[in-house]
Amino acid sequence: MRGSNSLKMKVELQKKRPKLLSFAPYMSAGFAFLIGAIILSFSGVDPVVAYSVMLKGAFGSMRGIADTLVKTTPLLLTGLGVALAFKCRIWNIGAEGQLYMGALGAALAGISVISAVPIVGVTFSLIIGFIFGASIGLVPAVLKVKLGVNEIIVTVLLNFIVLLFITYLLHGPIKAPGFNPYSPEIFPQSQLPIILPHTRLHAGIIIAALATIATYLLLSKTKIGFEIKSVGANLKAARYAGMNVSKSILVVMGISGGLAGLAGAVLVTGVQRYLIEGISPGYGFIAVIVALLGRQHPIGVSIVAFFFAALISGSEVMYRTLGIPSSFAPTLQALVLIFVLIGELFTRLPVTKRGGVI
Amino acid sequence: MNHETSEISNITTKYFRKFKRDNALEQVDHQTDTPSSIEHDGDRLVIMKGISCRFGELMANDNVNFDLMKGEIHALLGENGAGKTTLMSILYGMYQPTSGNIYVRGNRVAIKSPLHAIDLGISMVHQHFLLTPPHTVSENIIVGLKTNRRIFLDVQNAEKKILSLSNKYGLEVDPNAIVGNLSVGEQQRVEIIKALYRDVDVLILDEPTGMLTPKEEEALFVVLKSMVNQGLSIIFITHKLREVMEVSDRVTVLRNGKVIGTVKTTDTSETELARMMIGRSFVNQTSIESPANNQSDTILELMNVYAVNNSNVLFIKDLSLELHKGEILGIAGVDGNGQSELAELIAGLRKMRSGQIIMDSKPIENISPKHIREWGLAYVPEDRLHTGLILEYTIAENLVLDRWYAEPYSGKLFLKKHEMKEFAEKMISDFDIKITGLSAPVRSMSGGNLQKIVLARELSRNPKVLVVHSPTRGLDIGATEYVHRQLIKQRDNGVGVLLLSLDLDEILSISDRIGVIYEGKIVTIVEREKADVDQLGLLMGGKVAESNL
Repeated sequence: MRGSNSLKMKVELQKKRPKLLSFAPYMSAGFAFLIGAIILSFSGVDPVVAYSVMLKGAFGSMRGIADTLVKTTPLLLTGLGVALAFKCRIWNIGAEGQLYMGALGAALAGISVISAVPIVGVTFSLIIGFIFGASIGLVPAVLKVKLGVNEIIVTVLLNFIVLLFITYLLHGPIKAPGFNPYSPEIFPQSQLPIILPHTRLHAGIIIAALATIATYLLLSKTKIGFEIKSVGANLKAARYAGMNVSKSILVVMGISGGLAGLAGAVLVTGVQRYLIEGISPGYGFIAVIVALLGRQHPIGVSIVAFFFAALISGSEVMYRTLGIPSSFAPTLQALVLIFVLIGELFTRLPVTKRGGVI
Repeated sequence: MNHETSEISNITTKYFRKFKRDNALEQVDHQTDTPSSIEHDGDRLVIMKGISCRFGELMANDNVNFDLMKGEIHALLGENGAGKTTLMSILYGMYQPTSGNIYVRGNRVAIKSPLHAIDLGISMVHQHFLLTPPHTVSENIIVGLKTNRRIFLDVQNAEKKILSLSNKYGLEVDPNAIVGNLSVGEQQRVEIIKALYRDVDVLILDEPTGMLTPKEEEALFVVLKSMVNQGLSIIFITHKLREVMEVSDRVTVLRNGKVIGTVKTTDTSETELARMMIGRSFVNQTSIESPANNQSDTILELMNVYAVNNSNVLFIKDLSLELHKGEILGIAGVDGNGQSELAELIAGLRKMRSGQIIMDSKPIENISPKHIREWGLAYVPEDRLHTGLILEYTIAENLVLDRWYAEPYSGKLFLKKHEMKEFAEKMISDFDIKITGLSAPVRSMSGGNLQKIVLARELSRNPKVLVVHSPTRGLDIGATEYVHRQLIKQRDNGVGVLLLSLDLDEILSISDRIGVIYEGKIVTIVEREKADVDQLGLLMGGKVAESNL
């Protein structure tokens, strides 16, 4: 009597959506800003003034645009990594830890002898950053493949382990002489060059753009990308068709962790020049939102990463000029996420009754 | 003629024969008079009159009449999809019938929900238990019940009542045991007590022996008999003939949503029940000439294979079979007797506990599904929507799902989209697939066309062995015939075809040899000419093979 199973109620994603509904995400973002405006006016700030300061801060000047792009870089790299994992239905929530491992790798590579060689130095640092991120990313993948451990738990918890490990290193083994818990400054040959004079914009954005293209090619043109997508879209069918599920998971988590590690390496070689505890204000966590809102597509991810970076750099200016707490940026990000998800729910998830059965 | 009243009161084999003679009599309009109550003769607790239930295209129940006497075990027998569970779900208030009336204790009722059914004294024990493993037996039993206390559970009184029920019917169970630690048989006893705890006198059991060991089964039957002796009435849903003969007082046989007949168990035999359950409608439409050449070389052989099912229970036990080149070996059986496991074992998707599988004189133990396919296996899985295809993918992507890595569909690193598309176009014309668009996801295509995609992919591998599992389920007649023709064509080309199907007619019409699978074992294999439908029916129902087969 298995047949009767199909008679139960089904909640189905509707695949065809009316044209108008494709504006839903923008409307959702609009609602988020509206709620943000209400919060602003409650704290005694004119929301119109605040938002215009934010807009000007993010895009109003060369410096502003440069700053937005600098913040786009790590968000884009981590967002791509997380999106790639999501494409394979691997829930990598550990991009923050992977980013810090990458930063550690780049900081260590940047003070090694090889790094005194021009061009080679910075390349070496970035590669080591990628490898460090990839190796920590492989931990949950191996545990999942070999023992069936849930990757969400492992990736989340590894964040804490990595962050505490970095704290330990910075207060001890790799602490530079002096009062602060910093690592030694890397060689100038290991630093990413500034590509826009008189701003902080470094070559990291080019690396991020190349990574976007590479991820796009990987997913839509390569053999391994096809395998990854198939495993993500339908594990049973992928197994049935003879695909190697374990290999896909390992490859995906290696690259995903590597991209996050690259983000950390870029922060060290392009911005900070040494490793500190707070080198990332949670890029690896925002990356999850970026990947979700960007629909796990490299182009979508880069648009959302840029938008969120503008939000962050704009609200920093808001803080400097209007004294609005910098926590307003994450508040807005969370509002955008909530509203977009609600919008998704209403446009894509109508509950359909099959055959009138409740 | 007043067919309606006669068929409920005349519960004899005569009725069943009359019914067989003229199915059309069933169509007598029962809606002309629907009294709000009918004469209560004191014995018939439940009467279901002219129940029809339609789900979209599917007529799950078609003008079904059923009644339950006080103090009897009434078996409801039929194959998968015959409408047994649907009928009982209607009685339990889970579905509303499209038409028809239900009388409980003489009064017409519209049973709106399971709670309403319980109020009327009817409860159901489902095939899959609805218990929470971390909680105790008592907690599981009283969950959802109102008590006199406001906040705290009244566990002490519950325990008393559970123990008294358990003594009364011989349902041994410890109220304080954690459900997760209990065996399947014990969990079932908990489910039964849970039903009885709600003071019902009609109990519906949906395939209660499905997961029990033979010993637990025996114990259950003893309990059931003691329950009816004490005045309860039981409806026993099953597809196993032996169980019907062993416990029931009467049996109603359903086929394709219709009642074939209601008979007294003492007046019937397993053979007769098997015939009623399976029917003899099979016509040999597809003429199949056995291939002239004597390609009798074995291409696939399973020897004493043991394997576990998805619940990690040893389910495939000592399974052996031999498949020859250029034949269709049809394996009949009721759903859930190991068909999926057998197919997955051959495809390398399920690990063997012990035994050996040899394909084309090579053992396929510890070989990846990919390599088994490369050696010449093609496999049309049972579930084309969730296993055979990726619905989000285009037709071209689905067609290369098993060969995306190989020339000419890809190079060293990159896919060759152009070649993929050319291949798709060729398959679309070769297999006459109606598509909604080359770059559209296949999700919106019809079942027949989706199956054609799977067939196109699998047959274009030029396999040596073709395993097909329920290849025509849910397809219309045209698509079904198409699939059958393709299978015969493969056979004529020398491919060994293993056809696993729940549809005995399908197996009888295109197989060269016919086997029956029952509880993870091939219980018989016969030449088609020597196949006897009655015997096959008995074997599918678990009757041990007799020497004359």
